[in-house]
Amino acid sequence: MTTAPPPGAPRARSGTEAWRPRARRATAWSSLVGLLFALGAAVVVRAWRDELPAQVASHWSRGGVPDGFMSPTALVLVGLASTVALCGLFAAIGLTQGAAASTRRITAAGCVWSGAFMAAVVVGTLAPQRGLADPSQVGLSGAALLTAVLLPLVPAGIAAALVPGDPAMPAAEAVPADAPRTALRDGERAVWLRRATGGPGLAVGAVAVALTTLAAALTAEWTMLVVPVLLAALFVTMFAFTVRVDPSGLTVRSAARWPGTHVPADEVVRASVTQVRPLRDYGGWGWRTARDGRVGVVLRGGQALLVQRTGGRSFAVTVDDAAEAAALLNTMADRARSR
Amino acid sequence: MWRIDPASDDPLYAQLVAQVRLGVAHGTLRPGERLPSARELAASLELNMHTVLRAYQVLRDDGTLELRRGRGAVVASTATDLTDVERAVADLAAAARRAGLSVQTTTTLVTEAMHR
Repeated sequence: MTTAPPPGAPRARSGTEAWRPRARRATAWSSLVGLLFALGAAVVVRAWRDELPAQVASHWSRGGVPDGFMSPTALVLVGLASTVALCGLFAAIGLTQGAAASTRRITAAGCVWSGAFMAAVVVGTLAPQRGLADPSQVGLSGAALLTAVLLPLVPAGIAAALVPGDPAMPAAEAVPADAPRTALRDGERAVWLRRATGGPGLAVGAVAVALTTLAAALTAEWTMLVVPVLLAALFVTMFAFTVRVDPSGLTVRSAARWPGTHVPADEVVRASVTQVRPLRDYGGWGWRTARDGRVGVVLRGGQALLVQRTGGRSFAVTVDDAAEAAALLNTMADRARSR
Repeated sequence: MWRIDPASDDPLYAQLVAQVRLGVAHGTLRPGERLPSARELAASLELNMHTVLRAYQVLRDDGTLELRRGRGAVVASTATDLTDVERAVADLAAAARRAGLSVQTTTTLVTEAMHR
């Protein structure tokens, strides 16, 4: 069994850059939508200009008493600048790493969320201060803050759904002869099924949920309980995946049914076994996107199934017995080419 | 890995049964390990779900699997230890090779011995 070179080193030559226009398109319209949200907030604030105090509360101390003030215009500008900064971060990810549709979806959702979040913060901060002579009396509502975080998830989700998936890119060349294969007779069917688990995910998740619950209890701020709930939801989707290699290709799906992905057999350039170092290769654990369109489901360090895919993409999942999976996937890729 | 050869003389369910027994014998399937759901396995191998269920039932009846509602098919903790058989088979294969016997002749000898 050959071990593949580190992910990122080998790149398919043909069509490697075909994703760039798609990444530019997704980044451009989602940045625009994000900015429009922030500008929309500016328009609303302008309509309120006669009702707002000259200095509005913009920051609150821990007890919920305002301790920072600025003019409404300055607040709007801060919101706009933050939108540009946040959105720029997501745009940079999309433009440099957006070879896979899932990465472009993160960019689009991130840009739209940034703009909508900043708009919600600005409007939510100023709405209760209309008609107030003394802004130092205005309180900060946890529910409003919660709404500002959660409500923008709706347009963000829509934006992610609007990003088209990767177009079918069947490989033009055969699977390399030196790639491992499974000996199957003509007409013989085979499937490889395995659960990918392990790593620090479960422990980290339990500790994070416990600590944030404790923090919410200690501060007696019930809206803060949403943090452990969201964290628990995130960890439930991220700590166990099922991996399946069958005639259709490779399917990796969270034990919670979502998220998941499918690599069609005819887009497999080569499957192999690799050693993954979570932090160095993928910057952490969970569903990862990294440079050069590399996507990884990284639950632990060590052995992983690595699939080099057409269009310069790659997908890795940390799973035991990856050699068997790689061999069968190469064989299924052979079959897909001869169909 | 699960394989099905429709061209084989063995019935489809028997092919699945043989693979689970082999997996347990080789230690690739450990006690407590959960097998894929009948629905998933049937879909992946283009089999009727009843074929897979039949295989699981045969394996439950001989004590290899436990079928639990909600948890599906789990390798039984009492699954027969086949290491002795494994060792004897390895010895038999080596002896047959030394004697220059074909696979077919060796298999016939084993079949005969089993029916004795």
